[in-house]
Amino acid sequence: MIFDPVLLTVENLRVSFDGFVALDIDEFVLHDRELRVVIGPNGAGKTTFLDVLCGKTRPDRGSARFEKFDLTQMSEDAIVTAGVGRKFQTPSVFTSLTVYENLMLSLKTDRTVLFSLVSRLSDKNRDRINAVAEQTGLVDHLHTVADALSHGQKQWLEIAMVILQDPVLFLIDEPAAGMTDEETVKTGELLERLTMNHAIIVIEHDMEFVRQIARTVTVLHEGKVLVEGPMEQVQNDPRVIECYLGSAQH
Amino acid sequence: MKIKRHDFLRSICALVLILGASPIQAQIDHQLQLGRIASNNRDSITTAVGAISDAKDVAYYALMVALFNGELYLKNNELVIIGDMQEDDYGDTLAPLYTAYPKRHPILNDEGKPLIAPLIDLEEIDSNRRIRALIQPYLTQMEIFHPDSGKRRVAVETLGNRGGLGAVPMLRDALEKETDSGIQSLIRVALGKLELTHPDPEVRLNAAKALGELNNTFVLSFLHARVEPDASGNIAELDPAVQSEIRDTIQWLETFNQIMVVIQTAFVGLSLGSILILVALGLAVIYGQIGIINMAHGEFMMVGAYFTFIVQNICLIVLPVAYIDLFFPLSLPVAFLTAGGMGLLVESLIIRRLYNRPLESLLATWGISLILVQLARTIFGDLTAVKLPQILSGGFEVAPQVLLPYNRLFIIGLTVIILIGLIAFFYKTRFGLRLRAVTQNRGMSACMGIPTRRVDAIAFFMGTGIAGIAGWAMTLIGNVVPNMGQTYIVDAFLVVVVGGVGKILGTIVAGLGIGISNKVIEPFAEAVYAKVLILGLIILFLQLRPTGIFPAKGRDE
Amino acid sequence: MTYYRPIIVFLLFGIVAPVLNEMGLLSDTTLNLWGRYFCFAIAALGIDLIWGYTGILSLCQAFFFCLGGYAIGMHMLLKTGTKGVYGSALPDFMVWNRVEQLPLFWEPFHTFTFAFILSLMIPAVIALIFGFLAFRSRLQGVYFAIITQALALGVWLIFLRNETMLGGTNGLTDFKTLLGFELADPASKRGLYIIAFVTLFVSYFLCQFMVKSKLGRVLIAVRDSEHRLRFIGYRVASYKVFIFVIASILGALGGLLYVPQTGIITPGRMDVQASIEMVVWVAVGGRGTLIGPIIGAVLVNLLYSFLTGAFPGTWLYFLGFLFIGVVLFFPDGLIGLRYRIKISSLKRFLPRRTPAPVAAESQD
Repeated sequence: MIFDPVLLTVENLRVSFDGFVALDIDEFVLHDRELRVVIGPNGAGKTTFLDVLCGKTRPDRGSARFEKFDLTQMSEDAIVTAGVGRKFQTPSVFTSLTVYENLMLSLKTDRTVLFSLVSRLSDKNRDRINAVAEQTGLVDHLHTVADALSHGQKQWLEIAMVILQDPVLFLIDEPAAGMTDEETVKTGELLERLTMNHAIIVIEHDMEFVRQIARTVTVLHEGKVLVEGPMEQVQNDPRVIECYLGSAQH
Repeated sequence: MKIKRHDFLRSICALVLILGASPIQAQIDHQLQLGRIASNNRDSITTAVGAISDAKDVAYYALMVALFNGELYLKNNELVIIGDMQEDDYGDTLAPLYTAYPKRHPILNDEGKPLIAPLIDLEEIDSNRRIRALIQPYLTQMEIFHPDSGKRRVAVETLGNRGGLGAVPMLRDALEKETDSGIQSLIRVALGKLELTHPDPEVRLNAAKALGELNNTFVLSFLHARVEPDASGNIAELDPAVQSEIRDTIQWLETFNQIMVVIQTAFVGLSLGSILILVALGLAVIYGQIGIINMAHGEFMMVGAYFTFIVQNICLIVLPVAYIDLFFPLSLPVAFLTAGGMGLLVESLIIRRLYNRPLESLLATWGISLILVQLARTIFGDLTAVKLPQILSGGFEVAPQVLLPYNRLFIIGLTVIILIGLIAFFYKTRFGLRLRAVTQNRGMSACMGIPTRRVDAIAFFMGTGIAGIAGWAMTLIGNVVPNMGQTYIVDAFLVVVVGGVGKILGTIVAGLGIGISNKVIEPFAEAVYAKVLILGLIILFLQLRPTGIFPAKGRDE
Repeated sequence: MTYYRPIIVFLLFGIVAPVLNEMGLLSDTTLNLWGRYFCFAIAALGIDLIWGYTGILSLCQAFFFCLGGYAIGMHMLLKTGTKGVYGSALPDFMVWNRVEQLPLFWEPFHTFTFAFILSLMIPAVIALIFGFLAFRSRLQGVYFAIITQALALGVWLIFLRNETMLGGTNGLTDFKTLLGFELADPASKRGLYIIAFVTLFVSYFLCQFMVKSKLGRVLIAVRDSEHRLRFIGYRVASYKVFIFVIASILGALGGLLYVPQTGIITPGRMDVQASIEMVVWVAVGGRGTLIGPIIGAVLVNLLYSFLTGAFPGTWLYFLGFLFIGVVLFFPDGLIGLRYRIKISSLKRFLPRRTPAPVAAESQD
């Protein structure tokens, strides 16, 4: 396998809530244009991991070097500007704005107050919104208020919003949740397409979907990296089987 | 007038009793003074009164009182005091006669009965304002033997300040007979002050030592005056040993003073803090549970206070006078239940429809507060007060003049009890468990069959009920007025904000913190500026801990 | 929105009303009263921007209103000069408080230009600092509301004091002239009315420009989910600070125009209740629309004038029920009500999905 240069290096990362250690990762490396799936039982620390990378949660210690930045030291908006985009588990979109307005806000443009006050949308950006809307099947709903969308459509809208941010690194939390089988397949295809130009970390529960997209899989268990490797290898690892079975007994 | 006279009589009897044991050594010529007074010449009287005052001879007390009241008469050139006047059938005014010196005794006639003489046979000893003004300090000073402890206090202090060395034997005598330890200490202080002017350095030295042990900081200025040069550069105390003893005493008293200031500041801070906690607790319970800041919280307090007032008035009619103070414990459950019940009503009519709309609840509850205030104003008018129960009046004296009032101590105690009760309720009862479950995860709790709506309602009931109790307690320290809720409410909001969501511990720490820092700042800046300064500090504090002292931590923050 | 409507409004209030007044058909009092309502409406626009659009409840708008008012009041008082009761060059209340010399901070208010600039700049700077600190530490929702209320309480207490040299409880009064015009002259009053109306009119369109721009979308996004907005790269705090400053300036502008019309400004205008009352104007009219707060401010104050005259003592009851009623039954105010009626009457003919009403503030 030929690897692209390293994009993200996580070292010594530790997060605790009221003394409970939610995340304790010694090392995690992601290369450019890599698609990494993170799996693990409930409470393994997957979402917390993404929260740290996008600045939502501050770790107790450790670093997450992304290009020339340390993500653990930056504010949320600076992380986005640096090129990390996040899609949340439960879709959160701006419910009283239309789909089009949601997308417009997500565009990678100057996001300062004064610019927002005077800026007008350029033709290029308008085309881009239309193109992404096309890609995500929202083109017919551009002027619908986001609150009126179905759950699946909101998922798509959120994905579209992340795409429009044009990040270097995508952080995607359970993209297939709430989608039909057909939509899930479509999501997989979209991720495949994105990975040609972007690095992606996906959290997923749906094993079917994981098998469809996964190349390298990282298994988190009780906040630690349990196994990391190709899908087939991970699937047959006894430790993984045990931790899944173990958690199933609860 | 008559009552007053009886008062005097009683006090004189007491004086006589006390004096019977050990007559004070005479320093003046009695015959001369008595003669001067009997001469009924104002100048002579003035001289005599002056001499008696200087001598501090308590044997003249009855006479001086009589002279002061215009009851001193001459009968056959002898000084007598007249008693209550009466009229006989002919319209003549008669009065029983008493001896004037050295004791006030009824004068008996030949038959052994009290002698009652017509006033017309007597000659009144004239006294004018000037003479009375001269007598007044003497009377006050002589009151160190008065049965009323308040009067004794004043007398001791007057003697200590103006008595001069002549008053020392009298004070010693008083000290022997005094039973009140507070006044005993005051007498010692007065003695110490007087003896610091004694010619014998040995006595002065001991006096300075004694003052150091009495911990009365009010002598500080006096001590300073002894060892520091006055306007003309003279130092009163010249003996080096005494001087250094006085300086030691000053130093100790200043340290003691600082300790007392700290204690007092801590106490008033604690008192304010406990009030804030008491007010904020109900708010915090509701905010923790439903995420609503109840702007009408202060008005639920007011409801509690007004029901205390109502219960008091009912008790005034129903209960015998001796048991009147029972109204206070009786009104506690009433205040709790009425405020809580009103809260329940408001919850079911209004708040229930506004869950998940915290800002709009803010407005709606503000509306409720407006209505309640206006309602109270319409019903009760502007000012009413609840009587302080006897048992809670007065205070605990930690040092001379450093008093911790019982009503404040009571509120501190009440706050502690309610806190313990609440914590027990939250952590030891089934219902408390449900409450906490709903606070943490409403959806999940609902799925597990907890009636979240009912839990919310009960939380609201509890919160407003505690407000009622707070109002009940507030009647101890202030009037009951329609807008009494406003006094502490904004501070209480801040306590909730600083304390963090749904944490009783946070409310405690924030309440005490805001209360104490308010009182610490107040000596340097006026209360208003202290308040503003505190707000600034809170804003700065929130820079560091935006979600309060004890934020709810977790990944779904 | 139909284009002729603003023109009609402008003609009616900006030209016809003053002309009728000139002709004696409209009383000076009525015109003056409406002039004040317009000032309230300007302040209400500010609340609408920050609360209606951005979802941040600020409970200190009356403070900004009074800052503007006091600034211009100080200027006018200085211009009164020796024409005051005591004939001193100092304002009367200073003479009364035995102040010998004009406090230094009064000096800039001698000139109208400075007074004008300061009346808007002081609130703006205070809002900037306060907003920066509050929003930087991510005070939200109820927390922000309470902190602003505490601010309102604190400054109110300060303004009440005599030693702050702002007239204490009695405030500032006894103004004579403004820019050389006699304030008592009906023509000056008419002029002030027109200025107030025109300012409101212009403010309305400036606000409209603001909410129609991308900035307006960002503000609504803050209301919907500021948390999400942060994760698509916006510095939410700067937007909040910006709109808080704009709101404070609108508040001050209202106060600035209000005081010459009433001839008095006291701390009573800025107590805790005053601010929250302003919020209710917006709620009654309809938040999240720009015409709503204007209608609300005028309507509630008309009612106030009517009720305090006709049924004294009932006003607080009425206001209390207004708070509750609006929140419970007309969360979108009168404008929302009109909109709802319109939609339901249209529904019979056009069976299509209705746009979502203004959502309640988000929970995260």
